Amino acid sequence: MRRRLLLLGTVVVAVLAVVAVLATGLGRDPSATASPLVGRAAPDFTLGGINGPPVTLSRLRGQVVVMNFWASWCTECHDEQDALDQTWQRYRDSGLVLLGVDFEDTGDGAKDYMHQSGLTYPVVEDKDSTTALAYGIRGIPETFLIDRSGRIVDRIIGRVDADRLAGAVEPLLKGGSE
Amino acid sequence: MRGRWSAAGLVVVLAAIAAAASLGLVAVRGHQQPASRPQQVQQIASGLHCPICKDLSVADSPAPLAQQMRQQIDQQLAAGRSPDEIRAGFVAAYGDSVLMSPPRHGIGRTAYYLPLIVVLGGALVVVLLLRRWRRPSAVDESEPDGRAPLTSAQRQALRRAVERLREEEA
Amino acid sequence: MAFLGTYGLMLGLVLSVGGAVIAAAGARTDRPALVETARRIAFAVLATMVVVDGAMLAALLSNDFTLRYVADNSSRETPVFFKVLSLWAADDGSLLFWNLILAGYVAAVAIRFRRYRPPTFPYALSVLFGVQALYLLLVNGPARPFGTLAQAAADGRGPAPLLQNHPLMAVHPPFLYLGFIGFTVPFAFGVAALLAGTGSDAWVSIIRRWTLLVWCFLTVGLVLGALWSYSVLGWGGYWAWDPVENVALLPWLVATAFLHSIMLQERRGMARLWNIALVIGAFALTTFGTFLTRGSVLSSVHAFAQSAVGPAYLAFLGLVLLGGFGLVAWRLPMLRTPARLESTVSREAAIVGNNMLLLAATAIILLGTVLPLVVEALTGDQITVGGPYFQSALAPVFLLVLVLAGTAPLLPWRAVNRERAVRRLRLPVLAAALVIVGSSLAGLRDLYAVAGFGAATLVLVGNGQEIVSGLAVGRRHSGVLRTLTRGRRRYAGLTVHIGLALLAIGITASTNLAEQTQVTLRTGESTVFADRTLTYAGLETDQQAQRTVLTARVDVSGSGPLTPRMNLYPAATEPIGSPSIHRGVLRDLYASVISLQDDGNSATFRFYRNPGITWLWIGGAVMALGGAAAAWPARRRRAEEATVAAERRRQFSGAGVV
Repeated sequence: MRRRLLLLGTVVVAVLAVVAVLATGLGRDPSATASPLVGRAAPDFTLGGINGPPVTLSRLRGQVVVMNFWASWCTECHDEQDALDQTWQRYRDSGLVLLGVDFEDTGDGAKDYMHQSGLTYPVVEDKDSTTALAYGIRGIPETFLIDRSGRIVDRIIGRVDADRLAGAVEPLLKGGSE
Repeated sequence: MRGRWSAAGLVVVLAAIAAAASLGLVAVRGHQQPASRPQQVQQIASGLHCPICKDLSVADSPAPLAQQMRQQIDQQLAAGRSPDEIRAGFVAAYGDSVLMSPPRHGIGRTAYYLPLIVVLGGALVVVLLLRRWRRPSAVDESEPDGRAPLTSAQRQALRRAVERLREEEA
Repeated sequence: MAFLGTYGLMLGLVLSVGGAVIAAAGARTDRPALVETARRIAFAVLATMVVVDGAMLAALLSNDFTLRYVADNSSRETPVFFKVLSLWAADDGSLLFWNLILAGYVAAVAIRFRRYRPPTFPYALSVLFGVQALYLLLVNGPARPFGTLAQAAADGRGPAPLLQNHPLMAVHPPFLYLGFIGFTVPFAFGVAALLAGTGSDAWVSIIRRWTLLVWCFLTVGLVLGALWSYSVLGWGGYWAWDPVENVALLPWLVATAFLHSIMLQERRGMARLWNIALVIGAFALTTFGTFLTRGSVLSSVHAFAQSAVGPAYLAFLGLVLLGGFGLVAWRLPMLRTPARLESTVSREAAIVGNNMLLLAATAIILLGTVLPLVVEALTGDQITVGGPYFQSALAPVFLLVLVLAGTAPLLPWRAVNRERAVRRLRLPVLAAALVIVGSSLAGLRDLYAVAGFGAATLVLVGNGQEIVSGLAVGRRHSGVLRTLTRGRRRYAGLTVHIGLALLAIGITASTNLAEQTQVTLRTGESTVFADRTLTYAGLETDQQAQRTVLTARVDVSGSGPLTPRMNLYPAATEPIGSPSIHRGVLRDLYASVISLQDDGNSATFRFYRNPGITWLWIGGAVMALGGAAAAWPARRRRAEEATVAAERRRQFSGAGVV
């Protein structure tokens, strides 16, 4: 009898252990993958502008950069458009650059969309996705926050929220330049 | 009878030796190193996980991003970078999960021990079990109801007969 | 419809709980009237589920966009055929379908045992109702398939484009479900045997037959799934070691192990504990599979799945593991069997080896599938365990499985007569050696390819020889047909092995010898691939109601044109490609369009030369047919219902006529 109970106890413990391990899987968001780039220097690039001159990231050093990967065919990107515009309008004079990076898009598609939506911040075109690959893009929209020293501070997967973005940007703006 | 036995046995043994030798030769000769650039690209790409797909490698995926990754691998090879450097570049942007197989360092290494542990453990259990089952048990072979025990010749004949029946019925 | 569905699900739940309680009471108090009532409830549950699924189907067909499920997964433009498929194409609907099939199985058990009632039957019925109740609970709370929208949508979003791209989607999920859900029946009888505490092994033949049936369904489901992947997804492959694929393979491997080790129990009275553990394990793995793929743990496709479903599956899994293995631990003394082995070279030993290898493969796949989860939980690191890992870890194990499948059926039970064993092995070993030497001389450079072809030959010739020689002997004595029917199980098993050999040839050839190329062709331009000249003839556009189809015509020298397509669905941002395949005995020629440029005047293609793929499908079909032949009920029902011991006596006396 005692051996039986011991065995039963072992089964119970083993099952609970398995269930506990699997339960950790429940808590996580399968789409949230950590970026190894956070905390590191943002990979530099020079890309041709769609609505302005070419942009070289390293030239923006000293400013806070919010870099948004998007495309005209991406509906979730349309949804976050207002939040990005608001952020741009609100902080453009306090040392913030909002930069759109057009991903896997036709130049005309992006232009048409930008024209219709009245998008005002600079947008560059990542023609062969070199920049997207350097930033480890897994889908769009994805937004990177880069501080004044050119370091990636955070990455947001999916749609951004104006208030949360403001909350993340303000300390960076206050941080001053190096 | 005895002669035929050995002839058949010899055939089996020789065939097995020839097969083993061929396999050994193939193993020693090893994989063909990819010669052309497209083959090299293919080889590197098949070890990278297409970031926007569910489970396909960059080599297999028809997605545009995978195609661009293949292009980039090609360009980097042209620029003289080694396959390891190219892989490291993608890992820097995407993390270890961009590799189709776990990295061979850190905790990823456990992935490579697991199959070995599983197979060796299984083999050990089987060996122990078979050894225990092989132990002669206390089954009494003498006849229970006082009849004369079979002679060894009778017993052998019986065993052969039973075996034949079994095989047919099996 | 929402009303009918919602209340139907509640009624089903009440009925199932009632059935479980009544059957359990009947078993405990030994009152046949109660058992009979419970048996009839099975049909009531089935009827309810038919009505519920019918309600969903009616809602889909009548464009009832007040239902969220219909609005999310159908649209006015969706063809009727794909509207029907929407019944199981998305999460909530497939749960309804799941319940329908489960109810079907319970009713099938109720019919099968309408007269003959083994002592395990009432317990098994109770367990079956219990499982049904748990799955019905899921659709009554955590998931709400009949949830309505506050305001009816004007039109639905339509099915996910990938799911409405090919008619094969109609067949492989139902077979997979039949396979997956079917494991509930062997599980129920296994648990019933433990609960009833019967010392007899009468449950063995019941479980064996149901497991065989389920195994056949799952085999067909897996092969059709691979065929779907190959014919629809356009990447030239058929198996990506995707978690969804892996978890479907796990119970199949365990069931295969069980179908072998059950012979130890039938023949030798060995391995009772082991067999019951395998049955419980197979069912636990199906539950684990549903948890992993539907509990929104791994796949981000199901990101919209309700968070409550995951914990519910997990709780269910815990219950199955605890209940199943707890019972095993509790009944351990009853399950211990004397085991004796005359020789380590015998059928018994080979079966033990087979079980070890199949379970090792199961463990490797299981661990590989959950490893990313565990690693992330422990360290926060993210890793991928993908195809190359599984291939290299499993190839040696599966090779050994093949070697056993080729040699074990030639070994007698108990002890080996060396002389005879060698004589029977001569031809298969010789053939395998010839193939190995030949293919390595022919320049095959991959070890696994050479070994794989050799091992497959061993299986093919070894098992083929057994069939031929068995029938030859039988013809002299009692006629081929009688030999076939009397030795049905053995010949069915050998047939399954032959199917396995064909499957192995297909897999080895396609993994190791495939070629591919990617080219961009302008209209009229051609390329040479796989000894064929391929010419891009131009793009055709076909505007259909629910999609636009762009067909790129590629003329092939010496045969008809290849017509890979791109389908544009309004709901999808990117086009979904459809490959075009020239299937052949030796090799397939396979084409996909990757992209179109310049208004279709230029197109980028991927061409694949896939050798041996056809044999994969044929092998799978042969395996399923062999399994079905073994599972087919014997002509004499009574004989099968007799205990195994009696059956053995009968067979012996029958054979004694010779």
